[in-house]
Amino acid sequence: MARIYVSSVINASAENVWERIRDFNALPRWHPRIADSRIEEAAPSDKVGCIRNFNLQNGDNIREQLLGLSDYDMYYTYSILDSPMPLSEYIATIRLTPITDGSRCFAEWSAEFACDPADEEQLVNGIGADVFQGGFDALKRHFGG
Amino acid sequence: MPLNGTLEVDVVKVVRSTVLDASIEDVWDVIRDFNGHDRWHPAVAKSQIERSEPSDRVGCVRRFQLEDGSELREKLLTLSDLEQTYSYCLLDTPIPLFNYVAHVRLFPVTDGNTTFWEWESRFDTPKGQEEELADLVGSNIYEAGFEAIRSHMGLEAA
Repeated sequence: MARIYVSSVINASAENVWERIRDFNALPRWHPRIADSRIEEAAPSDKVGCIRNFNLQNGDNIREQLLGLSDYDMYYTYSILDSPMPLSEYIATIRLTPITDGSRCFAEWSAEFACDPADEEQLVNGIGADVFQGGFDALKRHFGG
Repeated sequence: MPLNGTLEVDVVKVVRSTVLDASIEDVWDVIRDFNGHDRWHPAVAKSQIERSEPSDRVGCVRRFQLEDGSELREKLLTLSDLEQTYSYCLLDTPIPLFNYVAHVRLFPVTDGNTTFWEWESRFDTPKGQEEELADLVGSNIYEAGFEAIRSHMGLEAA
């Protein structure tokens, strides 16, 4: 299995950042690479098992399913059902943890997936930089650091 | 004085965390040694591992004296070089902390080459002493420990 791990420190409380990212249908509101998103079958976006169907700015369509959501531990886990990327068994988690000595939080985004070894480096670097770090950079800009 | 079985106790959870301006390898290198806290923690005067066991042997017991002369014994429950974590419990203490289990966890901050450090515990205390003991553990042990590591490693104060 290929693995990706990206982490960062965001200059806002975990509660405030969680409020911005918790909604499984909110990617277009906070992630610069996502153009639009909808939840299939009009399910609520915090219903575990719901599917988000979204388009990237480059036109690619991706479907992802919410596998777990915790307001207590501030994380959610999801899998990719359909995407143009040459990978399978993709499961990712985004998680926030308070940093108690300031109004900051520790953010982690990780994934595991299967792919052809020839594609692994490009997928790991591409998803890690464009999706995960790109998302954290957008949050850091929004929250001023 | 009631027997322990009838003493009213409350469960307390304490968590403190910080970010150190150093790589996770460098921080782990300093805090991994279960017998090394007398070299950096201001509350600990001297420490030894019982039975001359290696300090990275899970199950080993550290016996240490605080600056005020009191003695404590703690047992290593978990040590992971892969996850950069360890956990331990208190065996003997003059302070009324019962069933005390603590976890130290390091995480890399990949976009800054810094380290997120979380230190947390759960324990039981006699009713009425929860706040005092939670503050003692959180401030005098965990937060003081963060600052001591910063100074030990020559890092800037938070």
